[in-house]
Amino acid sequence: MATVREKGYSHWDGRLVERRLPWWPITRTGIQLSFRKKRFKVLFSGAFIPAFVFLVGLYISERLEDFKAFIQGSDRLLNIGPKYFSTYFTNDGLLFLIVLVLAYGAGGLIADDLKHNSLQLYFSRPLGKKDYLVGKMSVIAFFVLVFSAVPGLVLIVFKLVFAGSFKFFLQYPWLPLSVIGFSALLTVFLAFYVLLMSSLSKNSRYVFILIFGTYIFSNVLFGILQSIFKTPYMALFSVPANLQQAGAFVFGQKLPHAVPAVWSFAVLAAICGLSAVMLNRKIRSVEVIK
Amino acid sequence: MSIEVKDLSFRYGKIVALDGVTVRLGEGAVGLLGPNGAGKSTLLRILLGFLVPERGEGKVLGYDIRREQAMIRRSVGYMPESDCFIAGMDAVTFTSYFGELSGMPRQEAMKRAHEVLFYVGLGESRYRLLDTYSAGMKQRLKLAQALVHDPNILFLDEPTSNLDPTGRMEILELIRDISANKSIQVLLSSHILDDIESLCETVVILNKGRLAAEGRMADLRAIQYSLYELRIKGDAGAFRKDLEGRGSRVDEMEDGLIKVYMPEAADRMDIFRAAARTGAQLRYFVKSRTSLEDLFAGVVGVD
Repeated sequence: MATVREKGYSHWDGRLVERRLPWWPITRTGIQLSFRKKRFKVLFSGAFIPAFVFLVGLYISERLEDFKAFIQGSDRLLNIGPKYFSTYFTNDGLLFLIVLVLAYGAGGLIADDLKHNSLQLYFSRPLGKKDYLVGKMSVIAFFVLVFSAVPGLVLIVFKLVFAGSFKFFLQYPWLPLSVIGFSALLTVFLAFYVLLMSSLSKNSRYVFILIFGTYIFSNVLFGILQSIFKTPYMALFSVPANLQQAGAFVFGQKLPHAVPAVWSFAVLAAICGLSAVMLNRKIRSVEVIK
Repeated sequence: MSIEVKDLSFRYGKIVALDGVTVRLGEGAVGLLGPNGAGKSTLLRILLGFLVPERGEGKVLGYDIRREQAMIRRSVGYMPESDCFIAGMDAVTFTSYFGELSGMPRQEAMKRAHEVLFYVGLGESRYRLLDTYSAGMKQRLKLAQALVHDPNILFLDEPTSNLDPTGRMEILELIRDISANKSIQVLLSSHILDDIESLCETVVILNKGRLAAEGRMADLRAIQYSLYELRIKGDAGAFRKDLEGRGSRVDEMEDGLIKVYMPEAADRMDIFRAAARTGAQLRYFVKSRTSLEDLFAGVVGVD
């Protein structure tokens, strides 16, 4: 270690500025820290597989004659329309991968700050609780949007490019809005959900288990309860089932469970509300031990 | 006055942490002294706006502690007591990150981070992961992040805790340099009397959430009480009781030395009178120069 005062202290002659987005450094740093984990980079890349598969599907749908032998009668799957996009957004694989990416890359967002007592450092700056939470939520928003809105809009653009006309867009002009709308819903829900779990423990490994375990367990619980009570309303206990219901509604598709979509929206909103209350209680500049 | 609080009160549930504290602090290094649980950290946290006082008002550099917290935090550098860092970061990123959060432009914050890390002696280790830092290095790092935005006041909460003697001396040397030569006011909270005594001209002593004493160290030593050291032969218990009954505080040391803290108004002849009344012989009597330790014992009532 170097000796003390190997260089003297000098005053800074600049001026502190009031940022329009005071939370932006938190977001940028949060994303950078996630990518410092080697395994995360692999996982992040792997989560683009569903988008790639659906892009290949788009291409094949425009070249059905060329791929006739390869498809062997399953061309109805390649009927590109809102259902195709709804399937992309609500398929188990994509939701699973997004939750996995968040559990690994964003699970420590609050847990690490709690573990290393860094909340007091944040709040000794001109930052409010809202700025802190928005900064952390934006990290989650980045990861969710990268796997939802971005591929969704890119798929629409590629559909137009492969088709060579705007016919598809004129046929479904509301589709980009559905893509953005469901991506926004997914982002808001997962931001609250992941941050809630992250605030419940100081250990990011436990948080990983909490995020992933709750997601999977809620679906298992749904399966068990449905087999006992034989009612589709048990789908409301499942996080993925509620997201799929909401997704099907936003894309104007038949709902996967015979439950009004409004119930699923209500469940998702209730989880967000509960998370907001819990986060407000857990995020403090001072930990008071009673 | 850079810090001014009036009738400040705060409680954690039923526990009173601060009870009607009124202080006015000027320039230079100020020591905030008191035993554990006296309310020192609570006072710092209220000044930073972490906690909202139940009663009372206050200003830091003219900014109201209830309404202008953001302005206060721009002007104050805070070094917390507990270890705090962000896992997976190196010191430069960490320090510049908090500079940026204070409102510094990104490039300026990075440049400044290098400077303050060199200043606190972490220049060579600035690219090392914080997870691998020793306790002493983490302490310097906390000081660096508190200095990065060039604050007007530094709030240092137990800056030498968990440090070995060499590390402690180095941190104290840094703080001395900052307060004496860099025109940055320092409010140093500590329960280590030597730290305060070696750095601060002014001291505020808190005890059980109340203000026990406040003022320049030299003045406090002179006006609070007189300290006498003596040895007696006879009934020490009765002698002690007699003096305590007349408002003095009496401490018996293990080697038989008795320290008598007499109120300013009292007459030292009272000691001789007490000895005569209780039949004790005075074998040794000297008026002692008071140290901060004695002052602390006198006003707080602990050894």
